[in-house]
Amino acid sequence: MKKTVLVLISSLLCSLGYAQEKVVIQYDCIPNYANWGGVTAAYTKETGVRIPPDMKGSSAAMAALEAEKSNPQADCAYYSGAIGYQAATKGLHQPYKPKGWEKIPDSLKDPDGKWWTVHTGNIAILVNTSALKGKPVPHSFTDLLKPEYKGMVVYDDPTIQGTGFTFVYGINALMGGGADMNAGFDYLKKLDANVLNYAKDNSYNDLLRGEVPIWINADGNGLKAKYVDKAPIETVIASEGTIVMPLVMGMVKNDPHPEETKKYLDWCLGDEAQKLMAQSFFRPVMKVDLGGKVQSEFPPESAYAKAKTLPLDQMAANADAVKARWSKQIKR
Amino acid sequence: MSIAKKMAPSFPLVVALFLLLAYPLSLLFARSLQDANEFSLTNYIQLFTDNSHRRALFHSLILSALVASISTLICLAPAWLFANEHFAGKSLVRAIFTLPMSFSGIIVGFLAVIMVGRIGAVPQFFEKLTGTAYTSGWAYRLSGLVLAYLYFEIPRATLTLESALRKFDPQLSVAARSLGANTWQRLRLLILPLIWRPLVSTFAVTFTVSLGSFGVALILSKRFSVLPLEIFQQITGYGNNGLMAAMAIVLVLLAFVINYSARATS
Repeated sequence: MKKTVLVLISSLLCSLGYAQEKVVIQYDCIPNYANWGGVTAAYTKETGVRIPPDMKGSSAAMAALEAEKSNPQADCAYYSGAIGYQAATKGLHQPYKPKGWEKIPDSLKDPDGKWWTVHTGNIAILVNTSALKGKPVPHSFTDLLKPEYKGMVVYDDPTIQGTGFTFVYGINALMGGGADMNAGFDYLKKLDANVLNYAKDNSYNDLLRGEVPIWINADGNGLKAKYVDKAPIETVIASEGTIVMPLVMGMVKNDPHPEETKKYLDWCLGDEAQKLMAQSFFRPVMKVDLGGKVQSEFPPESAYAKAKTLPLDQMAANADAVKARWSKQIKR
Repeated sequence: MSIAKKMAPSFPLVVALFLLLAYPLSLLFARSLQDANEFSLTNYIQLFTDNSHRRALFHSLILSALVASISTLICLAPAWLFANEHFAGKSLVRAIFTLPMSFSGIIVGFLAVIMVGRIGAVPQFFEKLTGTAYTSGWAYRLSGLVLAYLYFEIPRATLTLESALRKFDPQLSVAARSLGANTWQRLRLLILPLIWRPLVSTFAVTFTVSLGSFGVALILSKRFSVLPLEIFQQITGYGNNGLMAAMAIVLVLLAFVINYSARATS
């Protein structure tokens, strides 16, 4: 009898996956961002190694790594470029050069391998056209200031989410501002009147539902909403231009599963993963054949003519100051 | 039986309390008194002089007081009913009624968005009825925050008060009436003095739970910040552990003082 119970319990534990399951912990692994849900599922299917979803944004991920410095829980992390750069500067990463590393352009990686780009996105205006109820689709960031969009605009809290930070930082350049960032903050102050909420979590599902009619986020998430999830979402590349956002990964210093992690990071730069990311409309850092369908669904190159690439080192150096200024002047 | 023997069964609890409460709190306290690895009161000074931190502290107190007062008042009726009346299916009704208590704050936050968000069920209903979407977007304002807090605090208050009211003997009221006391006299001289203590302790419990609640504000609040949310943002946004620790210590002290004084004065 006792034996049967033991067998039962142990088989139960096994089936729950406690016994043999291999995991790699990736901070900031939001299933509805850059198709991480699909990418990690494909890896698990191929190798049996599980990468659990993690809802921390870039800044939250960096903060967690910092708090756990003496006893790291995560193996790798994914960030919007500036925050990943900042995390590397803080000494939270260990150098690793995954397979194919040399093919990444120099401006998109750290020479020591403390971070590297996996794909890039662009800050865009994602619009749920059916939630607009007849109002015109905005074509520029300036359009978003019109009173008719009152209570309809959402962008992510830049103190938590890297995409929100990239927008808050980058809008200054799009508004023609200088190093004092005043033009950007003047814009954000005006935009505040139309903002429904500064989201601290991912708003993808709220955009699909129409709870959030206008979400300032990465273009790829809007394109995926339209072409994969078949929702009435338009992805507008603003007439003022857009900010190119490298999305980077880094390997955590003293991580718990280094061998598995290296294999996973190699795979993320491989053909299959890069294609999966491209299918959710984030531009792969490696040259992969996208196939005609995906290629034609991307907005035309001309839409990105005014795209600006901002130096990550400067962004990272000013990150804390910009977040603090945003908290004081915009969120108040 | 000697006092030591009486205390013996609670010994493991005392040890656990020390390990799980006193030890982390002392670590937190030590951290709050450090700035760049040196002893300093900077964090506390910053907390009480910086406008946004001070406002968050003030908001926490106001919101908790508001929620606790309303919950304590509203829960009187269901608590009385559950304590003194017997009806078919009572335990089922009570179980359903108190279910929201077990939801985490974040879930309550999402529920508020679905109910009184920009296109929530309630504003859509009003729009169909009157043509105007009343309550639209409430979820992101103070009104929505209070509603969401009440949603899980009223059940908690009800359960707390119910167990206290059980000790109240309804026959007393009948006896008072037969002795000629009118409704007002019975309320003032009999019922209120008897239920005053339970009311105050219900208020205290509700207040402290609201004070520490975080998930609701995380999902809902556009601007109205509360202290637990400030703590979260200090860690995630800036990695400012010293200030975070100072805020946490202040929050714990507040909860303790309110709880203790509520029980001591009643």
